Amino acid sequence: MHNIFSRVNNVSAFLSSCMMTLLAAIALSSFLFTARPQGDLTVSSIKVVSSNARRYPNKKQDLAFVHFNITADLTPLFHWNTKQLFLYLEAEYANKQGVKNEVVIWDRIVRKKEDAVIKFEGKNKYVFRDISASFNGVPPASYSLKYNLMPYVGVLQYGEAARTSEPVAFPATQSRL
Amino acid sequence: MFTEELKAFKRLGFRHVLLQILNFASVIASGLMIWKGLGIITNSESPIVVVLSGSMEPAFYRGDLLFLTNPPNERYQTGDITVYKIPGADIPIVHRVLETHDVSPKTKKSKKAAAETTISVPTLPHQRLLTKGDNNYVDDIELYQGLEWLERKHIVGKVRGFLPYVGYVTIAMNDFPQLKYALLGGLGLLALIQRE
Repeated sequence: MHNIFSRVNNVSAFLSSCMMTLLAAIALSSFLFTARPQGDLTVSSIKVVSSNARRYPNKKQDLAFVHFNITADLTPLFHWNTKQLFLYLEAEYANKQGVKNEVVIWDRIVRKKEDAVIKFEGKNKYVFRDISASFNGVPPASYSLKYNLMPYVGVLQYGEAARTSEPVAFPATQSRL
Repeated sequence: MFTEELKAFKRLGFRHVLLQILNFASVIASGLMIWKGLGIITNSESPIVVVLSGSMEPAFYRGDLLFLTNPPNERYQTGDITVYKIPGADIPIVHRVLETHDVSPKTKKSKKAAAETTISVPTLPHQRLLTKGDNNYVDDIELYQGLEWLERKHIVGKVRGFLPYVGYVTIAMNDFPQLKYALLGGLGLLALIQRE
């Protein structure tokens, strides 16, 4: 039965299996790129300010304002299967109640190799607050720059590009900035 | 127009038709088995999802296929991309974790429990999560339908793998239902008529 239907069927089956093999090969090839670039991260200043809570205007809520410097060359992470890098700066600390916290305070999407040399100086992009509403007496937090490598096809990879050399303490709360 | 096909159908005989129906059923059954098997391995109720919205652009576009796992003894970290379903919301949402707060589980020490079990099972911390779409300006608290935090029980899985465009077929079928019926009808007819 060499009618048109069976031909089309055979050709498309062959093409799709070729496609699958190629995609699998590309996905596996990204495990060959094992560059783990390291950058530099310093926290220049932190301020803690008392403010109103988001949902409950009558409640008080401490907000932390963190100023930091990032220098990192992440170009080695860009290979042929890198669609984009999602960079994020994370604060890790345990509060007085023993709750372990990880809070992303800044992020950036890097889509091109030319933009992968990061030189950034600034403050947090997202609200940094503790679930107990106060940073009073909270032990020092350590800050780290992490990345999520997102491929064109395949497995998402995670890594750490920089970390503060030692935990940074929260200062006493100010009533206004 | 269909006389040829009908003749062919008659020529094949009753047994052949039965065999084809059986084949068709086994294809459907094995598909279901693979899906449910994957669900058990990954501990996720739906281990493969299709992206339906643009809130994670430019990482994920509409129609991209995501592969999920939900390991029971692994905590979620910031930067992980989760798929979650809030009770009352009709579609699952794919967004990235912005905050995690691990509240260590309260150790209730009643005498009864102490007498019954002497083995201490390491329990995972009770996690409170906050998520945000990469393409959104604000976090997801408005999407949580009044909840303050996302919890483990709302989460379907963590995105591990990515395959672009493939899921667009299902979106097209949802947008144009005729396509779905045409495809299903065509496949069914072919399965019955085809020899070999």
